[in-house]
Amino acid sequence: MADMTVKGAALEAAAHGRFDELPIHNPSIECASRERIEAIQLARLIDQVEWAYDRVAWYRERMDAAGVSPSDIKTLADIRKLPFTDKQALRETFPYGMFAVPLDEVVELHASSGTTGKPIVVGYDKGDMDLWADCIMRLVQMAGVVPSDRVQMAFGYGMFTGGFGLHYGLQRLGCMMIPAGSGNTERQIQMIQDYGSTVLVSTPSYALHVCEVGEKMGIDWAKSTLRVGLFGGEPCTPALKAEIERRMHIVCTDNYGLTEVMGPGVSGECLAERDMQHIAEDHFVWEVVDPETGEPVAEGEMGELVLTPLGKHAIPVLRYRTHDLTRVVTERCACGRTTARMQKVRSRSDDMLIIRGTNVFPSQVEDVLSGIDGVTPHYRIVVDNETGLDRMTVHVELKPEAFSDSFEQMDAFRRAIEEKLKGVLLVSSKVKLVEPGGIERSTGKTKHVQDLRKM
Amino acid sequence: MSVSQISVFVESRPGHMARVLEAFQRASVNVRGYSASDTGDYGIVRFIVDDPDKALEVLKDMGAAAVKTEVLCALLPDTPGELARIMAIMARCGINVEYSYSLISTFIAISVKDLDAAQRALEGESIELIDQNDLVDFDRTPTKEKE
Repeated sequence: MADMTVKGAALEAAAHGRFDELPIHNPSIECASRERIEAIQLARLIDQVEWAYDRVAWYRERMDAAGVSPSDIKTLADIRKLPFTDKQALRETFPYGMFAVPLDEVVELHASSGTTGKPIVVGYDKGDMDLWADCIMRLVQMAGVVPSDRVQMAFGYGMFTGGFGLHYGLQRLGCMMIPAGSGNTERQIQMIQDYGSTVLVSTPSYALHVCEVGEKMGIDWAKSTLRVGLFGGEPCTPALKAEIERRMHIVCTDNYGLTEVMGPGVSGECLAERDMQHIAEDHFVWEVVDPETGEPVAEGEMGELVLTPLGKHAIPVLRYRTHDLTRVVTERCACGRTTARMQKVRSRSDDMLIIRGTNVFPSQVEDVLSGIDGVTPHYRIVVDNETGLDRMTVHVELKPEAFSDSFEQMDAFRRAIEEKLKGVLLVSSKVKLVEPGGIERSTGKTKHVQDLRKM
Repeated sequence: MSVSQISVFVESRPGHMARVLEAFQRASVNVRGYSASDTGDYGIVRFIVDDPDKALEVLKDMGAAAVKTEVLCALLPDTPGELARIMAIMARCGINVEYSYSLISTFIAISVKDLDAAQRALEGESIELIDQNDLVDFDRTPTKEKE
């Protein structure tokens, strides 16, 4: 938060480390002892498993086949007896196969975009909507939002969970909602000025766009009413967030969630430790497992996040494989909360490449490159096996100032990058230097990997 | 006495050098000599031009990775043995020629680590060296005089 104008008492307190002055939505849960949190989780888990078994044929069949009944759940660790749920299960049962309540009790429907095959449809009854709003109210207050805030929603509404999910929770908190929707940047900026918006909800890349367009229009962001950015919809790198904070004079956080288990609100970033997000543990049981074996990893180790929402009635989901890789810690946070914290998701298990038997994540390559002067963070990984062995080539973009007239120096530079990559990836790769701007930029989700291997 | 050389990083792909040359053309930068070499993945193209500062500016505007360095430029009589003679002088003085290429007419550009030492060695053997201004003046060709 350095180098920027901090606006509002809550952010002022956070900037000076006075986290006890920040509101905590539900301290009886968010600051509870580990024993109490786990006792609540166990009681709700038992109910949730019964609910799924009694009302959803898909779960009943799978639990019967696995020889497990709801009465087998006596401790939190017993969750491991249950089968996993994956995205495929939700696709196969499209549209209503996983619903556990009559459709006339369902008050809202959302869907995830179906880029491949059918979309995944999720429903919520009144209780589910309350639960969702509770999650949102927690995370936005962690981020410094207060009931008097005026929130400009620059997410698209529609079937996507991000727009309405945050809208309902923020409104329930008492915020004035400004449902701008997505796009029309100059109008968005006009609305910020006309209505005195204090919070912008958007993707981080759109926030940067708003910032740049505003700068061109002559807006002095330091003097703007805007003070908080709530981001979602795409991963936000620390560098991007820092740039938006510095240029727009707002404090930015992002949250984690996925349509299959609810939407935004599973966990959120507090202002004390910016790389970690507090999980709403009374609403979700989390597990971290080895993505290959499905077995739990030790606490604090990296693995795939598995989530079981609790108290969710319209669609109960047991042990959902998120494919998101993270680590979870349970120590008390400097913000005062005791709920478990997950590290921000940087990579997914299905992004993982196996190169000559070694697991490689594109985010590791990004981390190495961001620590090297003379290259940009843009890269592409090309994998082939033309010679019979897996061969990984990392295309790295040279910064103009790193160029010298000598092949000897350029080659030494290239080899130094190869060495650094090998130190982290534990597998050798070839670095191919490309000219500045030589790697295609994309506005949406960037495709970093090209796998040309033939089986 | 030396001339400026502009080196550009290019990917070894069709069109990359053409793009640079078209930009030079638009800026009326006259190329007096060049050398293109590559490693398979990428290459360095080295140019000697009439206005190196303008050339560098053009390249920077394109976002290209480019640097300006100094090289010696010698005018050799167009007779057999002259190239051999200059290289023999360098060898005798223990000066390593990192690379060398020819320009218009019988100029050759020579890259060495220690320009002054090489210059002294060559001048002692009555080899004519030229500087940047000589490259500009070289424009006074018969074709131009007709205009």
